[in-house]
Amino acid sequence: MAVVSNQTILAVDDSASMRQMVCYTLQGAGYTVVQAADGVEALDFARDREVDLVLTDVNMPRMDGITLVRELRAIHSYRYTPVLVLTTESGQEVRQRGKHAGATGWIVKPFNPELLLKTIARVL
Amino acid sequence: MDLGRRLDAAERVEAPAAATPEEWSPEQQIAHLLRLCDAQMESALCESDLAIDALIKVFTTVAEAVRALEPGTHTRAHAGAHTDAHSGASGPAQYQAQLDAVGRQMAGAVVAFQFYDKLSQRLGHVRHSLSSLARLVCDDAQSGQRERWQALFTQLRSAYRTEEERQIFRRIVDGASLDAAREHMQSATPARRPATGDDIELF
Repeated sequence: MAVVSNQTILAVDDSASMRQMVCYTLQGAGYTVVQAADGVEALDFARDREVDLVLTDVNMPRMDGITLVRELRAIHSYRYTPVLVLTTESGQEVRQRGKHAGATGWIVKPFNPELLLKTIARVL
Repeated sequence: MDLGRRLDAAERVEAPAAATPEEWSPEQQIAHLLRLCDAQMESALCESDLAIDALIKVFTTVAEAVRALEPGTHTRAHAGAHTDAHSGASGPAQYQAQLDAVGRQMAGAVVAFQFYDKLSQRLGHVRHSLSSLARLVCDDAQSGQRERWQALFTQLRSAYRTEEERQIFRRIVDGASLDAAREHMQSATPARRPATGDDIELF
């Protein structure tokens, strides 16, 4: 899927290989991608700079993805920024926690590159 | 710990069967074996991490090269002209079809690489189970208490992140044989059913 875009996506995952796969997919569609290895790093970045979308894992050291969503929603400029959760967690209970924290959507790994891009295009 | 005690400890780890009769117990031997499994898994995972990192670097390099051949790039235009000169008007269409096929393979590889991440996570949970079990087995005060074992099971269950892990846990804890659990695992393994990556929910 070719997308001409100057939009920036913040990809948050403690797995370097996952970040590489996400970056490869998003950059190929024309997005600018910035990376963070956990919620703390992502939040530090978000406090300094706005991005168009956040894509975050759930289980990460220092700060998990659900907490990150909640913290992002507390930042005025991130109140309406799409935040998609990309995780191996498929249970309903944790999805509901993500929803209540303010996540825009839930994607279970492994992601299909084409469907990930379609979902991102839909929420942006 | 002084050097003598460190050496004693090392000897016990390397040759648990040689422990003095006072030190020897079945629980200690179980704990040794559990720690051994944990260490072997950690070592294998470290090696695999390096290998998969190298593999992903190669993959992204090749994938970027393929992307550079997409229509609109200088390389693609040059290649298209070359194909035209040698094989007529159908050349570019054939070329595009080949590029599309490679693109589909690349997308499949992106999905497949993600299974390594899942594997690392699941083996991390197995290692956590082994080390928790080793601690409990060696704790004389706790290992005889039924509620401590129940707490261990609850704690291990809560660490699981994937539905596959939860299903295996349920089956084994409910008394399924290893063969039955294995059969279930194989039928549920994503390699045996297409990984569509379509579990997406927008709130």
